[in-house]
Amino acid sequence: MKAMAAPSLATLERWMQAVVMHPEGAETGLRAPKARRLLAAAARDPSAVVLPSKQLSSVERLEIYAHMYYARLVEVMETEYPTVRQLLGPHAFAAACRSYVAKHPSRARLLNGLSAGFPDFLAKSLPRSHRHGLAVDIARIERAMEDVFDAPASTPMTAAEFAAVNGRTRLAVNPALVLLELRYPANACMNAMRRGEQPRIPRPRVTRVIVFRRGFQVMRREQEQVQFRLLQALVAGKPLAAAVRASLVHGAGNADRVAGRLRSWFEEWAGAQLFIKKIK
Amino acid sequence: MRTQHFRHITSKWPAMDWFEIVSENFIDTGGRPMHFLDQVAERYPIVMHGVSLSVGSTDPIDFAFLDKLKALAKRVKARWLGDHVCWTGVAGLNGHDLYPVPYTEEGLRHMVSRVRTIQDYLGQPLVLENPSTYLTFAASSMPEEEFIARLAEDADCALLLDVNNVYVTCRNHDLDPLAYLDAIPLDRVVQIHLAGHTDNGTHCIDTHDGRVVDAVWDLYARVMARAGGRATLLEWDAGIPKFSVLQQEVRKAARFRNGVREAAA
Repeated sequence: MKAMAAPSLATLERWMQAVVMHPEGAETGLRAPKARRLLAAAARDPSAVVLPSKQLSSVERLEIYAHMYYARLVEVMETEYPTVRQLLGPHAFAAACRSYVAKHPSRARLLNGLSAGFPDFLAKSLPRSHRHGLAVDIARIERAMEDVFDAPASTPMTAAEFAAVNGRTRLAVNPALVLLELRYPANACMNAMRRGEQPRIPRPRVTRVIVFRRGFQVMRREQEQVQFRLLQALVAGKPLAAAVRASLVHGAGNADRVAGRLRSWFEEWAGAQLFIKKIK
Repeated sequence: MRTQHFRHITSKWPAMDWFEIVSENFIDTGGRPMHFLDQVAERYPIVMHGVSLSVGSTDPIDFAFLDKLKALAKRVKARWLGDHVCWTGVAGLNGHDLYPVPYTEEGLRHMVSRVRTIQDYLGQPLVLENPSTYLTFAASSMPEEEFIARLAEDADCALLLDVNNVYVTCRNHDLDPLAYLDAIPLDRVVQIHLAGHTDNGTHCIDTHDGRVVDAVWDLYARVMARAGGRATLLEWDAGIPKFSVLQQEVRKAARFRNGVREAAA
């Protein structure tokens, strides 16, 4: 057999990456078109590129990296989506993570954003059932918790600043706030599961949840429909009076009822530090 | 410094000489981690050790990431900043692993050039660590330790000698760890790593999930005898124990540095 010419550094790196990131492992990765296009000879004779050791073959040595690639990233996702894992079961969850990573490999230096698309991926790839629908909604909450955890720090508004607010005021919203409109009562189920309970899989019912960071604590809270719409309008940058009007247009509540609740909602939001000092 | 110990450190202020952080854990995060790190950095020297600089990659250098490293180094007044002799991804992807480079003249020239560029941009020397490796490229034309020694010399960078990685790599490649250590220019070594690993029989994996094994302590003693003491860090990244357990291992390392082999054993 003709000896293989020494591949360039760039070729070797691309080849190894193609082999170890293959979702079916290094042995399959070696023979896959991507790796073959880079180093065809390695598919026939892996030892021409990776030497065996006394104990392990060339392929077994590559498999160490291939195994670690998926194991590491699945482990990261296990810490990010513990309740989704609990709901789907560890094997189905790991399989979903592997499929996700294979389709959406990391392109960032940091792992923070690795699973940003995981809830949407689950929505597209899981079978249609209430259990899986609930899992998608819980994934959205757990993803939001990650985003909120990492969001930039900010300084909450003071009572004096709240006292000066009028209808024309555009409130600055805490960057550590995510608003979620969900198909299922996912927040309540998640609370129960995190307490160690096994709640019945609920029927669909639209719920609205805010995920936010108060100080350094990540918190979740359900919101009424009009309350949620108002918060959405404020997040969108509408002045307070316009935001209230917008929430009434889209909401189910009437003006008198909303007016009566505004104070308690703002007290709740102020306590949650949802509004912050404007950055000058 | 691991998140599990934030509260212990910032409430007890244990007698530690310094802390090492994984740089990436404190980039693009504005909440609890930075709050604790800022407090710790006020009281202890901080060393930054990264895992995604990818100095061996053939992708373009990520200057935006270097800006973030630089900003973090300034914020915590990092004593030094380092990463590994490896690559982590190409073609825009990141495997989040420390992949070995082929130890070739081409690989060396490439890495020297990149390390010099990165150092110039950061305005300080890099401290590069020997990785644990699990495969050998047939194209390699020199041993890993020679590659690292020449890299340090040609790029004028500093080294972090991970003694556990030396053990793991030598086990995996049937090499003599003493010969490996003897080839490392200790005058360029500013820091040592110690850690536990998992021995699978056919190969060892650098898991950082337990106590340092005796064979690694023996290698450490040899390095200390030659180097006369170096800043030493104990890595423990999985199955993280109470802070007091880490302190026991750190004190053991100190006894080795002081040459009290029997007392440490």
